Amino acid sequence: MEVLGRRDILNIDRALGLYRVLDEDGNPVAGEPSLPDKLLLDMYTYMVRARILDGWLLKLQRMGRVALHAPNKGQEAAAVGATLALKREDWLFPSYRELGALLVRGMTEEEILDRALTTIDDPLKGSDFAIYGHRKYNIVPAPVPVANQIPHAVGAALAAKIMGDKIVTMTFFGDGSTSRGDFHTGLNFAGVFKAPVVFVNQNNQWAISVPLKRQTASPTIAIKGVAYGVPGIRVDGNDVIAVYTVAMEAVERARSGEGPTLIEAVTYRLGPHTTADDPTRYRVEEEVREWERKEPLRRMRRYLISRGLLTEEEDKALWSEWEKRIEETVVKVLEKPPLPPEVVLEDVYEEPPWNLREQMRELRDSIRLLKELGVELE
Amino acid sequence: MPVVQVKLPDIGEGIAEGEIVRWLVKEGEAVKRFQPIVEVLTAKATVEIPSPYTGRIHRLLASEGDTVRVGQPIVEIETDTAEPGEPQEPVEKVREQTVEAKTMQEAPARGPTAPPSQGTARVRAPPSVRLLARKLGIDLSKVKGTGPRGVVTKNDVLAYAEAQRSAPQPAMQVAREVGVQEERIPLRGVKKVMAERMVEAKTRIPHAYVVEEVDITELLAVREKLKPLAEEKGVKLTVLPFIMKAVVKAIREYPLMNSSLDEERGEIVVRKTVNLGFAVDTPHGLMVPVIKNADSKGLFQLAREVRELAARAREAKLGLDEVRGSTFSISNYGSIGGVLGIPVINPPEAAILGVGRIRREPRIRDGRIEERSLVYLTLSFDHRILEGGYATRFLVRVKELLENPILLLAGDGELD
Repeated sequence: MEVLGRRDILNIDRALGLYRVLDEDGNPVAGEPSLPDKLLLDMYTYMVRARILDGWLLKLQRMGRVALHAPNKGQEAAAVGATLALKREDWLFPSYRELGALLVRGMTEEEILDRALTTIDDPLKGSDFAIYGHRKYNIVPAPVPVANQIPHAVGAALAAKIMGDKIVTMTFFGDGSTSRGDFHTGLNFAGVFKAPVVFVNQNNQWAISVPLKRQTASPTIAIKGVAYGVPGIRVDGNDVIAVYTVAMEAVERARSGEGPTLIEAVTYRLGPHTTADDPTRYRVEEEVREWERKEPLRRMRRYLISRGLLTEEEDKALWSEWEKRIEETVVKVLEKPPLPPEVVLEDVYEEPPWNLREQMRELRDSIRLLKELGVELE
Repeated sequence: MPVVQVKLPDIGEGIAEGEIVRWLVKEGEAVKRFQPIVEVLTAKATVEIPSPYTGRIHRLLASEGDTVRVGQPIVEIETDTAEPGEPQEPVEKVREQTVEAKTMQEAPARGPTAPPSQGTARVRAPPSVRLLARKLGIDLSKVKGTGPRGVVTKNDVLAYAEAQRSAPQPAMQVAREVGVQEERIPLRGVKKVMAERMVEAKTRIPHAYVVEEVDITELLAVREKLKPLAEEKGVKLTVLPFIMKAVVKAIREYPLMNSSLDEERGEIVVRKTVNLGFAVDTPHGLMVPVIKNADSKGLFQLAREVRELAARAREAKLGLDEVRGSTFSISNYGSIGGVLGIPVINPPEAAILGVGRIRREPRIRDGRIEERSLVYLTLSFDHRILEGGYATRFLVRVKELLENPILLLAGDGELD
């Protein structure tokens, strides 16, 4: 039987294997990675910030101040490592579990909290259609339904290509998303038209309560790209250096016109799917404990310490500094006033038509009257 | 240092209530803002709720195992300092609002909306308008709806509120004042007697209960046949005399039902005649007139006496001897509407029979679905005097007699 010639380009072996720079205990598996010290420390800091912020969002949800939160714990490396490969002018199409990616793009904890608590400074003005997003940082708001952002990222990439913009788009999605049509449509289209897009699949083993083995019969998720002519790379998603390395390669490929790449970052969601989920009902404690040992922050900390870039004391200081800063931000954001009700009518049209202006006037009158009557607005 | 109440927060996605699994703090314990204080089990998961304040736990308002609604206060915290940005409500103010809410019949959080007022025609209004009216303390039934089919709109409520605001007695203020005001009614007369007797009954008598469903379709048919005869004798025949007849007949076979306990001497006193008390709902309170020697009276006589005594009870013209000496009582709340009640024994009697509303419902008879007339009988009995088996057999006998009117009315003089 003759093997088709594209085997080398599609690199089936990379789609079936597992790329890794550090082992589970933070030891380099094939020599020291040649990355600048500052970048390595930045990777770790972003992950620490994401971890702390994640804990606060959970707490704030339990206090009834945040409607819903999808915990990130355990998945910081994939978000941080992949996003670090982007340039400022590139565009991010996240899902709802990438706090680290938002931070890397430059969004601050305060801006993220403004969004989560829908304060007067909420960049998305209280809209329910999406989770996080910020135009200033080229972050397209993450839709609530899974996988919707995949065709968006492909379309934006293709548009940029047609217009001659040398930008790349990157989109995140989970293992559950790979069962949706949007994933297949997006990959197929991107493959055919060589769209400059990087697909980052966060394979965290569970789509709410559906385990990976019930999600797909494919040996890996990365292999799914091959059928669409999109190279797939399977990477240890809890190894931030490895994720960064494969993402750099994918981003460069996209920017140089070679087309899309599918990255499968193998990771694990240590917390519940969302604050409305109880994972103890569907998965065993041993599995969680096993992945806790493999979690990304512990691994990177051990590597940085062994490489002499970080001491135990500096690590403690880093944590307490960010814990303090983020707590201060939380307290500050909690004191902000909520969004005014009028925003529900804003951003529908660039220039509101007469009927919308009339509604806005009526709304303002009603609000004024209610205030005069002493009615509390919720 | 102010004491503030912490309410069960809205922890998202349709959660209306939660069960307190474990308190992580004790009363008197210092607590930091954001520190987890309680574990709550919701329909979705067990979650830790952090404290919104720094201070000291003043009082836990819910116990482990309690189910609390979202928005219900669960703990009081004595705060060190007033922390801005948190919705702080001093305890007194919160209480005031609670009273107001009750007066205004506010529904529990996320529960079904209570009608804005009782006894008025149903008001058509969307939920948002009902909420607005409730917040403004406006009785929606007083607002004229201008929407389709008289639907009350938001503008109607706002217009009404504005009109009230300029009127001498603003509705909003009235409602708010009503919320904190109270009326004090002295407990006296019939009401006082009821209160004392009920305390005696419920504290001294260990009540036990048994319920039967009785098919009175045939009995009602018999009543229809007897009606002309009864009218000839000037008697209005209701179902109650039939039940009385069944009770006295059954008591003949189960004499302990007609007894009382002499606690001092430790003896059960079995009464040789049946004096039947029956509860009458009168404008001045609950009265229990007594049909003396009911066991020696015919159906029509019982009907006559029921009618006369009830009328006199409503006019408050009962003599003392007409309300004393009952040995067994019947409470016919079903005539008002209760399907099933659990009556309280009229001391010193051994038992009381509760009669529920007559319902028309399908039942299977001889393999066919038929519409039948059914009634629940509840027997509350003194478990010091009567065993459950004995009481149940008595009730079953009452049921048999009512379901077989021939048995009930067979015998010399039963009718008259």
